[in-house]
Amino acid sequence: MAAFGIVALMTALNAPAAERPGLAELLKALNVSGYPSVMQPPEFSGFTADGQRVSLAGLSRRVVLLNFWATWCLECRSEMPAFERLHREFSVQGLAIVGINAREGTSTIREYAKELALTFPLILDPSGKINSTYGVIGLPTTFLIGRNGRPIALAIGPREWSGKPARALIQALLAESAALKGTR
Amino acid sequence: MQILGISANNPFSQKTFADSIQLPFPLLSDFPALKTIKSYGGLSQELALTVAQRWFFLIDLQGIVRGQWRGTTTDVFPSEPILKVAREIAEKR
Repeated sequence: MAAFGIVALMTALNAPAAERPGLAELLKALNVSGYPSVMQPPEFSGFTADGQRVSLAGLSRRVVLLNFWATWCLECRSEMPAFERLHREFSVQGLAIVGINAREGTSTIREYAKELALTFPLILDPSGKINSTYGVIGLPTTFLIGRNGRPIALAIGPREWSGKPARALIQALLAESAALKGTR
Repeated sequence: MQILGISANNPFSQKTFADSIQLPFPLLSDFPALKTIKSYGGLSQELALTVAQRWFFLIDLQGIVRGQWRGTTTDVFPSEPILKVAREIAEKR
């Protein structure tokens, strides 16, 4: 009985986003699309303006919010304060917010982060390789990746990331910690 | 008539692209082996990226290639020449 319960729970947590109990509604409320179970987000590695190396592999067992942005993108700018709030509130619980910039310079990114008081890592992508690997053709584009490394959600364009639907989705993903430990 | 797109991109990036433009037909990934692309139109190098050359093939119900067209620029390729052959095939059935 107990073994069956664990198997059922693991099956549910490893199921495609749309098949997880309650998750489809959370995705719908935020107006984001889900992923089939066979997909894996591509590995990436990059450096912040301060030389800190960040990679997807290094964020193992964390919920990752990956936001593609640029300083000239007005809709990106409007999302940044919400990302900062989420970072400050949920990073202790295992949320990793990572910004991936497209083809801009170190000083431009550093000034932008200072102006908006951003403390989560902003990765440089000078050649656009990470943007290309993720298929990003418009900004902002945001991906949510679960603790088991599976892609959960894709948002093309801006969302209310500090609103109720986004917070409910993030909190649901963060709550998956115990059962998914060690799967990535 | 079934439209299929095949590219050298990974499936993850194809989903982002398809969602971005609300693409109404499936995309197939030939990544990483690129065997299908090599056996049809071939590959080209754009900056640091390996991409499929822009070819269009029309295959009939018997699996015979009934037409092929090459897109030489990034402009929208006119669908009329392809539709013309497709209509001819449909009329002969």
